This record gives sequence, structure tokens and C-alpha cells, in this order.
Amino acid sequence: MTAVSDEAAAWAAGRWGRWRRRYGLAAFGAALVVLWILIAILAPWISPYPFEAVDVTKRLQPPSPVHWLGTDALGRDVLSRLLWGSRISLFAGIVVVAIGAALGVVIGGIAAYAGGKAEELMMRATDLVLCFPPIILAMAIAAALGIGVRNTMIAMLIVWWPKFARLARSLVLVQRSQEYVEAAVVMGYGSGRILFRHIVPNAVGPLVVLVTLDVGQAIITFAGLSFLGLGVIPPMPEWGAMVSEGRELVDQWWVATFPGLAILSVVVGFNFLGDGVRDWLDPKSRRQ
Amino acid sequence: MFRYLVMRVAGMAVMALLATLVVFLIANQVPGDPVLAQLGDLAASDPNMVARYRARWGLDRPLWEQYWIFLRGIFNGDLGVSISTQRPVLDDIRQYAPATVELATISFFLSLIVGIPLGVLAAIRRDTWIDNFARFLSLAGVSSPTFWLAFIMLALFYGGLQIAPGPGRIDLSVISPPSVTGLFLIDAAIAGDWEAWRNAAGHLILPSIVLASGTLGLITRTTRASMLEAMTQDYVRVARAKGLTERKIVIGHLLPNALIPVVTLGGLAYAVLLTGAVMTETIFSWPGLGRYTFRSAVALDFPGIMGITLVVAVVYLVINLLTDLSYALLDPRVARERAE
Amino acid sequence: MIRNTLVWLCSTTAIAAVMALPAHAQKKTTLVVGLDISDGRNYDTARSADLTPPLTHGAVYDGLLTLSADDLVNVKPALATAWTLVNNGTAWRFQLRPGVKFWNGDPMTAEDVKFSLDRLVNVKDQPATYASNMGAVTIVDPMTVEIAMKNPKEPLLLDLTAPSFAIYSAKLAKANGAVSEPGADQTDKATTWLNGNSAGTGPYRMVGWERNVSVTLQKNANYWGKPAEFERVVIRHIADGAAQLLAVRRGDVDIAMNLSAEQLDSLKGNADVSVIQGASTDTLYFCLTSNPEMNATLAKKEARQAVVSAIDYDGLIKGLVGGFADRPPNFLPAGIAGTTVEQTKEFGAKEDLAKAKALLAAAGVPNGFEFELIYPNAAYFSTSYQLMAQKIQSDVARVGIKMNLKPMDNVNWRAQFNGAKSQATIAPWNSPSPNPYLWTGASVQRVAVRMGWKPSQELLDLVSAGAAENDVAKQKAIYEKYQRILVDNANYITLMQPIYRVAVHKNIKDVKLTPNVWKMELAQIKPAS
Repeated sequence: MTAVSDEAAAWAAGRWGRWRRRYGLAAFGAALVVLWILIAILAPWISPYPFEAVDVTKRLQPPSPVHWLGTDALGRDVLSRLLWGSRISLFAGIVVVAIGAALGVVIGGIAAYAGGKAEELMMRATDLVLCFPPIILAMAIAAALGIGVRNTMIAMLIVWWPKFARLARSLVLVQRSQEYVEAAVVMGYGSGRILFRHIVPNAVGPLVVLVTLDVGQAIITFAGLSFLGLGVIPPMPEWGAMVSEGRELVDQWWVATFPGLAILSVVVGFNFLGDGVRDWLDPKSRRQ
Repeated sequence: MFRYLVMRVAGMAVMALLATLVVFLIANQVPGDPVLAQLGDLAASDPNMVARYRARWGLDRPLWEQYWIFLRGIFNGDLGVSISTQRPVLDDIRQYAPATVELATISFFLSLIVGIPLGVLAAIRRDTWIDNFARFLSLAGVSSPTFWLAFIMLALFYGGLQIAPGPGRIDLSVISPPSVTGLFLIDAAIAGDWEAWRNAAGHLILPSIVLASGTLGLITRTTRASMLEAMTQDYVRVARAKGLTERKIVIGHLLPNALIPVVTLGGLAYAVLLTGAVMTETIFSWPGLGRYTFRSAVALDFPGIMGITLVVAVVYLVINLLTDLSYALLDPRVARERAE
Repeated sequence: MIRNTLVWLCSTTAIAAVMALPAHAQKKTTLVVGLDISDGRNYDTARSADLTPPLTHGAVYDGLLTLSADDLVNVKPALATAWTLVNNGTAWRFQLRPGVKFWNGDPMTAEDVKFSLDRLVNVKDQPATYASNMGAVTIVDPMTVEIAMKNPKEPLLLDLTAPSFAIYSAKLAKANGAVSEPGADQTDKATTWLNGNSAGTGPYRMVGWERNVSVTLQKNANYWGKPAEFERVVIRHIADGAAQLLAVRRGDVDIAMNLSAEQLDSLKGNADVSVIQGASTDTLYFCLTSNPEMNATLAKKEARQAVVSAIDYDGLIKGLVGGFADRPPNFLPAGIAGTTVEQTKEFGAKEDLAKAKALLAAAGVPNGFEFELIYPNAAYFSTSYQLMAQKIQSDVARVGIKMNLKPMDNVNWRAQFNGAKSQATIAPWNSPSPNPYLWTGASVQRVAVRMGWKPSQELLDLVSAGAAENDVAKQKAIYEKYQRILVDNANYITLMQPIYRVAVHKNIKDVKLTPNVWKMELAQIKPAS
């Protein structure tokens, strides 16, 4: 009896160890993401100071018990701005990827399903956008549209959908040639029903992986555009813009360092999580 | 194969031109007026001066005509004159490109040299600490914002510890080698100026590490995944059955097959590098194309933006073509398909 | 050319290294200046309108007249030794300095003067607008020229001190494609050569410019005045303030010109580097529209006055630029035409929140109102507009005024501002010469148009009277009246007139800044030992 339960415990411990090795990072990532989402929601209540409270007599103070992460060039509390900044970063990252994925899936799905000239046209359009390194095109568009969160997000969307369109198309093509779809066609089901009842559910896995991994990328890109001065309108706090404000300061390291760490941690969170989801969904890498 | 190549190149040319058209149309939607920004306050108030300037840069012509002039220029090897620098765009690109090429090449090789062995190790020592370390390193690399990483590295190793050289391609006290290729390492070697060589090499360390951080992760992950894939193939079992050592299997059989998908990463890595270059060059005061691109974009310098777009698109397409070709050469299945 | 220079430089450094003399035993022969020269698009005086090329022009060219750092009112002789009004006061006659040679040894004559000034007008580039009052240039004899004035009531002499009016060798310039006749805007081809070479009489001559890398000057052996102290001057392009800081600490550069207030602060207590300062006539001004279509509330004078009374000027200067700026009462900077900072205390705008609230009530908006401020996404003397705009935003919020910020790139900003499409903005002002009319004329003409403002006849008369007045005391009184009206109108308010600060390594001495457009008297700098 005891021997058996010991064995079971050992087996469970081994399983736990393997689980931890395999999914420990993913769990850590998920925790980070949840933490930042909570911070974004609770920012107004947990920030020690208003994010826009300017006081030039208290500018560039190092971290202290009064200002945990110091103050910036206008004497504003870096911690408060950092907490509030999570809202805009998460919002921009998630919305851009969600809309980009939706757009891409619709375009890629239709292309794959329609075939012929329409497919050719849509795919050439995606190729055209993919010709540019995303930041350069986004930069040109953002510069043309003017500075602001909405405009920057539009610029990002324009460069964001093609990779989803490509993935969606290839997924649909793969699925369509599967036996069960061919069977459904033989049985005379409508194409809409085949698409949404059979193909979409099977293609969702890879999409979920790409979406999760992509939120992190979108957050970095948004912060990067913001860093270059194309993102938010002040005094709204944004991490990329905060790094940019601090980069010329030689002795006041805290102004740029903490917002950068914030970006790093939230993106690490999404990437670890996405990577774990990929392992979990991908039978090949799961099988030992 | 030859017909395929011709078709590809023709398609590429059309794509590159379409790309410039897209950028041209975007750039012309802007409410700003480059002439007003280029002329000083006094001259911008003089309608004659503004009209003359507009005429000089062809901005008074209809849109299609401006684009036509640009197209005609391309076939004469002329990308026009940049409004903000007032120099031929081609000269600008020629001046700034070597700095970026040097930096990007070094970072690319850096990420290959570290990424491939790390990916291989992670695959054969799967689920061990080294796999987790590789995973951590690559994900952290992909996750850190380039502009911030650059700032931290500079603040730490240059400002704080003072063990790395500062921004720029070479120390101020060192005279840059006479320009032959524009790549300092090669130029210095040609001139036999080893002091300049060492100095330039030192300046490359930090920015190339920063720039490699993104591609390193990509290459490690891809190598690991394709190694795992290859390990399940029959020929590996056969090799094992024949009693080959694990080392021979990895180097002789697994690696060549596993590296095929890594090759296809070339194009993607290039895009990542160029994106990173905009940020890295900004912080490291690197006189390269990234900074030039950013400056042209915010100054609405149409000829500058168009020229850079064309060059970037062409390079991207050529890299894609080379990738596909090498893929075809490496993978007999693809080659056979194409030949049919 | 540049390559040759580099090779030459390489070999000299190599020789110096081989000789391995202790550094202090050797006389310093090269002066290195660290400066962001990315703005410079050309070095042709007839075409250059950028911020940094005048530093070079000041060292390689002379004009007919010049100005010293401490007196921006009375012109000093340079290539002209004497000047008198002739033809009933419609032209100036200049006696040229005898024995002046260009760097190549050719003598300077009236012909060169005419060629240079004619070319300035006829290439019709931006600097030609500075010569709007300059009429025909006539050669009287080889050492005498006459310059007519289009409007004899307006001054001309101060304009002639600007580097755009530099005199260069007609022979040398022509040999390299220069044209001075009408039509030069089409036929002149000299800019390419003038970008890498100078053709002037200054203490140095320009021998190379590599864009975004450096400008190299060499001593002019034929200089007519006291010879230059260095064999060679290198202006190194260093865009990054932090890199300039380190370079000047290590002595890699002798002067660092683009350091922010924080970076300069970090030099405190450094025995090798000192910080020197000098006044400027550059200003940063804040302007508000009078056009009811842009903003109906701002169109009321009381509302504008309320905004102006709610700004914490001292906090802006002390907090954001380390206190290194003055504040003149209005559009004219301190030092020009008798304007002083004491006048600001007397009648300039002041922070007064109670008054601002009263003014808001008088404007019919006791609870405040909204307006939009546009500004370029750039920095002004190492302080970003972004920071200044946010500071002002939080200042005016104290009385309930909501100022919305609209940052944009420089190009869009310039188009909106010049096109009179802004409710409010912050803008920099710098002038090619200290002729007061360059400020006053603009303030009632083109800048007024941008702010949808129609100046009163009284103000227009004051501006004309000030330009025509030759008596210093009377002119000062006229301009004080003018400034008082501007303050009351509250369309403009000058936020600051920066005091330049540069870091100087102890290797060199006699570094002097000047409020003139060339910023620094490069030729007066000497090695320390």
C-alpha cells in the first residue's frame, strides 16, 4: 500500500518536474501577463501620484521612499507614470493584433477559398506589404497620418494583417485537402458550413500561437514608434516615450531604465506564454 | 529552372516599383509641405521664393508626372536629389549603406555562430537545463525592445564600467581609414592600419550584440525545431541501427537537413535587422541607413523616402530569391518540383 | 581632396606618434570642436541658411563690416575701413582696407566686393531675402564701392555684418563656376566647390567638408590681421550630447558645443574642463491667435492675457534649462535696440494667478476654456519642446484653462504655423544680423498674419519710426512703446532668450562666444601652453 503510494508520489513528482520543466516558463509568462493586466485595470487606484502632476522643483530626483522609482524631467513620479503606461501598451498591443488577425484571417481565408484571380490579387497585395520591414512602412504611414495613438495603431494595422493572411491561407489550404473536408464536400454541405464548422476549428491552434506571440511584438513595435516620437500625445504616459525622455540623461538612469524593464517584462510574459501554448498544441514537440 | 528564374526576376521588378508607388502615394497624402520646412522663416514668406523652390524640386507638377520623373530617373540610374540633404539620393545611400551593411553582417554572423550550436544543443539535450536556458535566452532576446537594450548596454558598459567604446563607428581621436569599400574593417585592413581596425572592431561590439538579440532567438528556435523534426526521420533510425556514433549522426546527418529551414530565415532575419537598425543606429549615433531612413521619413523628403524604399525592397526581394534558390539547391525535393 | 587631407592627417599623426614626444612639450597645432553639424546642407554663403555653417564662415570669410560680441548696435570695420552716406543719404560709400589678400595671394579689390554681393542677390536663394534693402553695387575706384539702398529709411549697415554678405575672390569663384549676373539662379555652379573650399580673406581657409563627419580648416598664411594660432581646425560632427561630453572630458575634442543643462552640471568639479557662457539674440516665443475662426475665446484679448498670466516663467527657465536663459519683455531680445531684462520686470508679462482668473471672468469664461498648442517634435537647445509644452500645460491648468497638445514633425508644424492654421504654438526665432527691423518688421507683418492679428496703425507707425531713427535714446523709447503694446495684446510672449554654454578643455584658452550668428570667435582661440 505504502509502496504503491510512494511510487505514485514519485511518479507524480516526476510528472510535476517534467511539467515544470516544460511549462514552467509558460506559467511564469502567464503570471506576468495577468499581473500587468491587473495593474492596467487598477492603475487609478494603485498609483501613488497623479501621472500628470508637474513640479519642476522636484525634477530628476533619484528613487527614494517618497518616489520609489524617482521623478522625471518635469518632476513627475516615474512609478505612477509607469503603472498608468501599462494601459496604453496593453491596449495598443492587444487591439492591433486582434484586428490585424481578424482582417488577415478573413482576407487569407477568402483568398484560399475563392482561389483563381481573387486569390492571386490578394496574395500579391500581402507580398507587397511584406516587402517592407514593418517599422519602416509604419514609420512612413504614422508620419503621414500625424502623431496620436489611433493613427499609430492604424499604421501598425496596415503592416500587421499580411502575416495572418498568409498563415490563414496556408492553413485553409492544408485543411481543405484533408480527407474529412473532402468527405464533407462529397456529402454536399455548403461551403460556409464547411469553412466554419470544419476548417476554422482545426486552424485555430496555430493562429492562437501566432496571436499570443504577436501581442508582445506589437507592444514592442508600438513602444518603438513611440520612442521615435510617433506614438502618444503628452502628457499621456507611454513606456517607449518615457525611455526616449530619459535617454539623453547621463546621470539620471532611472528615467529610462524602469519603463524599459516594464516593456521587457510584459513582452517576456506574452512570449513565454505563447511559446508554452505552441508546445502544448504541437503534438510533434510534445511527443517524446 | 531558367524560366522560373526569369519569371521571378520580372515579378520582383514589378513588385519593387509597386512598392515605390505605394510609398509615393502615402508620402503625398501628408498635410505638411517640405518646401516650407526647408526654407527658413523669412524665405518661406516670400511667394516667389516658395514657387521657385517648388519648381526646382518638381513639386509644382501633377502627381503622376512627379512619379513619372522618378521612374525615368531609375532607368538612368538616378534616384533624384534629396530635398533635405540637397544631394543625390544615390550618393546619400552610398555614404550611409556601408555602415549599416557592416553592422548588420556582423550581427547576422554573430547570431548564426551562437544560435545554431545553441539550437542543436537544445534539441539533443531536450528538456534539460540547457534547453531551458536556450529557450530563455532566445525569448528574452526577442522580448527586449532594441532601443532600450541599446540604451542600457551603452549606459552600463560605456558610461558606467567604461570598458566599451562609445557611440559612433570609430573613436574621435582615431582617423577613419581611407574609404575603399566604406566598411571600416575591410578598409583598415587594406590600409594596414591595425589601430583603426581594432578601434572600429571595438565600436562594433555593443551595437552588433544589441542588433543580434532579435535574430539570435529566431535562429536558435528554428534550429531547435527543425533538429527535433529531423530526429524523428527514418534515416536517423537507420543510421542509429548501423551503429554510427551520436556525434556522427548529428554532424553528418541531422545538421545538414535541419539547417534547411534556417536558410529560409535569411529574408526574415534581414527584416528584423533593418528594423533593429533604425533603433540601434539612433542610440549608437551610427551613421547608417536606419537613421537616414528615419530622418527622411519625418522630414517628408519624398526623393529620399522613395530611394530608400526602392533599395530596401530590391534588397529584400533579392534576398528572398537567393533564399528560395538555396533552398531549392539544398532540398532535392523542391528542385525536382520546380524542374518539372 | 578630402581623401588627400585624410592621408595627410594620417601621416602627420603617424609621425607625431613615432617622435613620441611628451604631449606637453609639443605645441598644440590642431583645434578640435565637437558640434552637431547635421543641419548644414551647404557652405556657400550665398545659399546657406542653416544654423551651424556660419561658425565656419566667420573664420574663413570677412565681410565689409563686423560686430563685436559686446556691442550689437555699432558696426565695426572689417574689409571696409570707413563709410559715409552719399547721394542725399540713399547710398553708402565704403573705403576698402588696403593690402588685403585672399588666401591664394590675390589682392582684394572693389571688383570682388561687387561680384560677391551681386551673386548673393542673383542666385536668389534664401539669403537673398536678407539683402532686401540692398540696391545696386557700384565700383567707384579699385578701393571704393557704393551700395545703394532701396529704402533709405531702413538700416543697411547691420545687415552687411551677416556671413551671407561675405566677400570672396571673384577670380577664384568664377574659375569654379560662380556667376554673379542676373540669371545666376540658373547658371551658377559654384556651390559644389564652395562646399569644400573657401575663397575668402579670413584667418583660416576651408579645405574640406564631409557631410555629417567634419569640416576642416587650415591656417591662411596671407591673412591681413593677426595670424591664426592653430595650423588646423577640425569641426567634428558629434550628434549625441553624451558622446560630446565624454570626448571633451578625455580631451578628444577641445570644445563641446551641444551639451544639455544636465550634462553641463555633471562637469562640476572637473579640473580639466570649464564651462563658459555667452548671451545670444535667439529667442523662443509663445504665440496665441486672434482669429475667432481658429478659437473664438482666444480671439478675446482678456483670454489671451489670462493664458499669459498663468505661465510660471521662472519655473520654466530655472527648471528646464538650468536657469541659463534671460527673458526680454516681448519680441525684441535683450541687447537689441536698448531692450533689457529690467524692462520685463517693469512691464512684461508676469505669473499672477489671481489676475488670470479675473481676466478669465472678464473674457466671459470664468471656469476656463480650451485651446490647442502645436509644436515640432524636436529639441530647442537640448530641451525638448515636448517638455516645455507639458510644463505650460500644467501651468495654465491651474486656472482652469485646458491646453491640448498637438506634437507634429517639423515639416507639418512649419506648414501649419506659416499657413496661419494654428491656435497657439511655441516657435524659435533667430536672426542673421542684429538689425532690429528683422524682429519688429516681422512681428507686425508675417508673424502677425499667422496669428490672425491686425496691428494698429499706431504700432505700424512705431515700427517704421524705430527703423528710421538714428538716435539711440530715441530709438529705445520708440521700441519700449512698441513692446508695451505687444505685451498688452498678448499675441506673443517671449518665453526665454537662452544663454549658450559650451564646455572647454584646458588645452586651449581665449574661447569667446558671441551673440552673432557665427556663435563663437573661432580665430581668437589659442593653445593653452
